[in-house]
Amino acid sequence: MRIKNFVSMLAISTAITLVGTSAFAGDALDRIMGSGVLKVATDANWAPQSFINDNNEMDGFDVAVATEIAKRLGVEVEFVTPSWDIITAGNWSGRWDMSVGSMTPTKTRAEVLSFPAVYYYTPAAIAVHKDSPYKKLSDLNGEVIGASTASTYELYLQKDLTIDSEGVPSFSYKVTPGEIRSYKDSTAALDDLRLGDGVRINAIIGSLPSILSAIESNYPVRVLGDPVFFEPLAVALDRGDSALDAKVATIVKAMRDDGTLKTLSTKWYGIDYTSAIE
Amino acid sequence: MLYPDTVLTDTAVHKPKTIGIMLVAAIVFFTLIGLKGTIFGEFMRPVIGDPSDSGFLGDAATGLVVGLIFVINIVLIGFIKFKYQVLVVWLELLVLFLSFFYGFQLQYEFIQSKIWFLITQGVFTTLYISAISIILASILAIIGAIAKLSSNGFAFAIASFYTSFFRGLPLLMQVYLIYLGLPQLGYVIDAVPAGVLALTLCYGAYMTEIFRAGIQSINKGQWEAARSMGFGFGLTMRRIILPQAMPLMIPPTGNQFIAMLKDSSLVSVIGVWELMFLARTLGNKDFRHMEMLITAAIIYWCLSMCLELIQSRIERHYRTQSH
Repeated sequence: MRIKNFVSMLAISTAITLVGTSAFAGDALDRIMGSGVLKVATDANWAPQSFINDNNEMDGFDVAVATEIAKRLGVEVEFVTPSWDIITAGNWSGRWDMSVGSMTPTKTRAEVLSFPAVYYYTPAAIAVHKDSPYKKLSDLNGEVIGASTASTYELYLQKDLTIDSEGVPSFSYKVTPGEIRSYKDSTAALDDLRLGDGVRINAIIGSLPSILSAIESNYPVRVLGDPVFFEPLAVALDRGDSALDAKVATIVKAMRDDGTLKTLSTKWYGIDYTSAIE
Repeated sequence: MLYPDTVLTDTAVHKPKTIGIMLVAAIVFFTLIGLKGTIFGEFMRPVIGDPSDSGFLGDAATGLVVGLIFVINIVLIGFIKFKYQVLVVWLELLVLFLSFFYGFQLQYEFIQSKIWFLITQGVFTTLYISAISIILASILAIIGAIAKLSSNGFAFAIASFYTSFFRGLPLLMQVYLIYLGLPQLGYVIDAVPAGVLALTLCYGAYMTEIFRAGIQSINKGQWEAARSMGFGFGLTMRRIILPQAMPLMIPPTGNQFIAMLKDSSLVSVIGVWELMFLARTLGNKDFRHMEMLITAAIIYWCLSMCLELIQSRIERHYRTQSH
């Protein structure tokens, strides 16, 4: 009898756990409103989008946008910092609700995540060492180029980049690298490039704002040629709650319309990146 | 000599032949690695002129001087007592290290502004994660070792499968598997418990083998004698086997503790703000990673040294007890 009781209890509790987790996926909005906290995942190694500031708190453009979204939802914001590949892997299981991490909505990512709203566009550019002889992008054909791993930049080098979002200018593959070197993040690639032209790599590809902020911090690099493509960057949510998708889309649209996004972009980048570029 | 004894010999480094060989080897070595571009070359500037224009001659001259200093240093150290030899060599290596770091041109104000946060947030998290994992891993290891030595096939099979699996996978992969895999089964686990679980399982597996080897090193006769006197399993283990096995198990276990302290850095990939995570992240905005990495390196080293001290204390305790 006791054993039987135990088994049935086990069965019931397992059933509750299973129902509980499957209910999770559909009711993200209820969960956020219920707890009063919006948990946002963001990479902490991505200045000036998101980083730890002098007061040892999360700060940056992405962090400011996430905070504003939470404010308009009427909840508190909380940041968690798992590594980038864990965020893009999807299946967040309710660990966090949203990623405002300058993520490009690619087709493969859209299979595991939903992208309700694009909040800005950044130019991707190629940088080389200051003292290198390269004059145009095609000079880099056959050279070693670094990119952060699992990024759109790496996909661009692999000529495998598909951005399925409206209002994105078309692009062409202007460079054929001899070797692609993958890095944990763009700063690691820049650190290798600063050692000198061809010491470890000849060039890096990354977002123009990151490269410009490195130049500002006295990295001996320069931007080569025009931006190679423009990528839309979106808020990402776990798949399954269309109510939250709609809510976030409305909020981001309102932030664009009333100029909040523009103000934040100008504050962090000095340039307005929030509208689609010609 | 491996142990101090009373056989009289000349100090090896004071034999003319040894000194000669060392001198030649040192000069050739330092010439070949080419030191004229370093700080030593700068010191040699009055002799060789501009270091960058001096060619092979510059390397050779610098190598000669550095090699000479190196050998004279060894010969001089040979004259003093063991205790002072250790002290002098430690100090010399430390100075070399510091001058190496000095060459990076670090910004000390930046380190100063961040070090308190590194300690209160980073060291604290690293320490409590390691401490919990070490305690849990030790418990797991004792159970595992007993199971591996058991005559029960079920217990042995589980224990040997466990050690084989968790010793056979990279720890980083275990961290990912536990953090990303368990939610697929319906158990959403936070970053810190996932990290602790991964560290516990991995180190528990290694320590199982250490404990098993320690227990097995005790002669079978001890076990038989205890059993014949009517001692049960628990009493034999507690009073006869473990006290003798302990001194053998301490040094490798201490090693595991130190390794665990450093491997806890792997949980930084799942976003735990421990020492390694902060070291990688804090300097990011200002592009000052070297500052943070070196500071964290020194902190890790200090923590390991504390553990080393504790280990040698415990070792001494058991040595005096058993002899």
